[in-house]
Amino acid sequence: MSQVVLEKIVKSYGEVDVVHGIDLTVDSKEFVVLVGPSGCGKSTTLRMIAGLEEISGGKLSIGDRMVNDIAPKDRDVAMVFQNYALYPHLNVSENIAFGLRIRKVDKEEIKRSVSEVAEILGLTNYLDRKPADLSGGQRQRVAMGRAIVRHPQVFLFDEPLSNLDAQLRTQMRAEIKRLHARLGVTSIYVTHDQVEAMTLADRIVVMSAGRIEQIGTPMELFMNPVNRFVAGFIGSPPMNQIKATIVAGVDGPEAKISDSVSIPLSRAEGLASATGQSVIVGIRPEDVLLEAAGGEPSVPLEVNLIEPLGSEALIHASVGGEPFVIKTPTHGDIAHLNDIRQFHVNVDRVKVFDEKSGSALYQADQARG
Amino acid sequence: MQNLNLYSRGDKLFVRINIFLLTLFALSTLYPFIYIAAVSFSSGSAVTSGEVIYRPIELTLAAYEYVWNESQFWVSYMNTFIYTIFGTLVSLLIIIPGAYALSRPQLIGRRFFNLFVAFTLWFNAGLIPFFLNMRDLGLLDSYFGIIVGFACNAFNVILLRNFFEGIPQSFEEAARMDGANDFQVLWKVYLPLSKPAIATVALFCIVSRWNGFFWAMILLRDESKIPLQVFLRQTIVSLTNDEEFGSTLLEAAYSYETVTAAIIVASIIPVLFIYPFLQKYFNKGILLGGVKE
Repeated sequence: MSQVVLEKIVKSYGEVDVVHGIDLTVDSKEFVVLVGPSGCGKSTTLRMIAGLEEISGGKLSIGDRMVNDIAPKDRDVAMVFQNYALYPHLNVSENIAFGLRIRKVDKEEIKRSVSEVAEILGLTNYLDRKPADLSGGQRQRVAMGRAIVRHPQVFLFDEPLSNLDAQLRTQMRAEIKRLHARLGVTSIYVTHDQVEAMTLADRIVVMSAGRIEQIGTPMELFMNPVNRFVAGFIGSPPMNQIKATIVAGVDGPEAKISDSVSIPLSRAEGLASATGQSVIVGIRPEDVLLEAAGGEPSVPLEVNLIEPLGSEALIHASVGGEPFVIKTPTHGDIAHLNDIRQFHVNVDRVKVFDEKSGSALYQADQARG
Repeated sequence: MQNLNLYSRGDKLFVRINIFLLTLFALSTLYPFIYIAAVSFSSGSAVTSGEVIYRPIELTLAAYEYVWNESQFWVSYMNTFIYTIFGTLVSLLIIIPGAYALSRPQLIGRRFFNLFVAFTLWFNAGLIPFFLNMRDLGLLDSYFGIIVGFACNAFNVILLRNFFEGIPQSFEEAARMDGANDFQVLWKVYLPLSKPAIATVALFCIVSRWNGFFWAMILLRDESKIPLQVFLRQTIVSLTNDEEFGSTLLEAAYSYETVTAAIIVASIIPVLFIYPFLQKYFNKGILLGGVKE
């Protein structure tokens, strides 16, 4: 039983609250990713779970114990740091064994554990090397080895991949996922990279300004963001957000983007009473059709820049003077993309947010995963 | 030597002036050593007549033989070793934990304690109160008084504290997560990472102990406890006042200058030998690879 429960957790520095009473339950064996922009309180939250920061208010439980006042070493958690924090004077083997030696584990047992961990992480040939003689990926693996060798109840990861190059990051991401599947240890992972969050997490916790904005599976967050912040944070490129006004259309409410363009929101029964309300229409870059399949409303645009990504291209355009990004397959040719003058909206995928509060008013579809 | 053709005319001039000034500085630092060494190996009459400039004249070991045969020289030499070795060890034993504690953000009253230590850099009790204090504590004329009474040096504490503060916090945090207590964090993580700083502080302690003269002169009366520097002073005083010693100057193979120079050379040699052993720690990069900044 290695559930982690945060109840009304607060962190204050003097008068300033940086984490505002968050509630979160991480189930046993679950992989939860805390994601958000810099300064949103995700690392502080992780450090409070680790015991490296004092908890100003609320209750933190790991397993069946309340651990607010328990020292980090007695919480039975292990942490992988962003900068690895490998002891440079010790070799790989000694680094991995450090925690066991401190805890006065039997020498034979240490030797067995270290070689087992080295085997899992592919470090067997590097056990005698110092950290300075390792590549970034190998160092990160040593840092993970140091964490897993103790068989803790909970793993904490503090942006462990942010110092690696893009290729290595993708590789290590897969390794972390494999490791979690193999070890089945409750894991809490902090990152500002939504791709890491989407690929690794069983559930994602999106944080902003010390508060939780939304908790859900990656697909729930992608398909049904509860507010503009989540809509803008999850998905790459982020969701386009255009100002509009709710008007009464022939078949129901419509979001009027300009005098000539309105997007029908026929399934949005709740919006019938919102006529005249200022809203933000959210359209994901990939939910745009360049050629109408039948009856979709068209929106005029002005193409500013084409970014070819190989199989896909990003079209940076302006819609009514506001930036708008379209992600479209290239089929090996991007020249024609410059000639685009309008796009069609897949009305089944449109989101509508209240302009003032930013909360979702209408989700055209439901999460599928 | 870098390729000077890559420099502009102004830069070339700047480099040449730098080299000239640094050479001048190096020579001015080195010359007293050379001169003293030359004097110690010269005859007394050559030194008195001002012939010795940079190399021994009328090469002789007479001054060294004179010093060698002084039993007090060996007693003082041994005392200096005792004060240096134990004094340095005790200093490190006090300075290292003190600097570590002062570097910890979680130390309650950290600001006050840091100010308290730094205060002694600018203000201290002065000669007479300190002497009275040592007397009342019964530390006059004792090895213990010299070793412990001067064990803590605020400058060294601050130097080491600053180095500890520069070590990434994540090392400590990682060690704590691994189960280390404060002592283990210091002993198993911070000390190995701080070898260059500790070597520097140790060298400062060694040199200051080895050259320690003033307080030893004030606090020690017993000849069997005086260090080499005090013996050197006593030698200079006694030989300059020794009329018989002076009257034989012209014929003697040694004079009080050559004897003094021989004692100085003898006292410099151990320190010269220590530096190469510590030099390997004066390299940056001990933290290399441990953390990714």
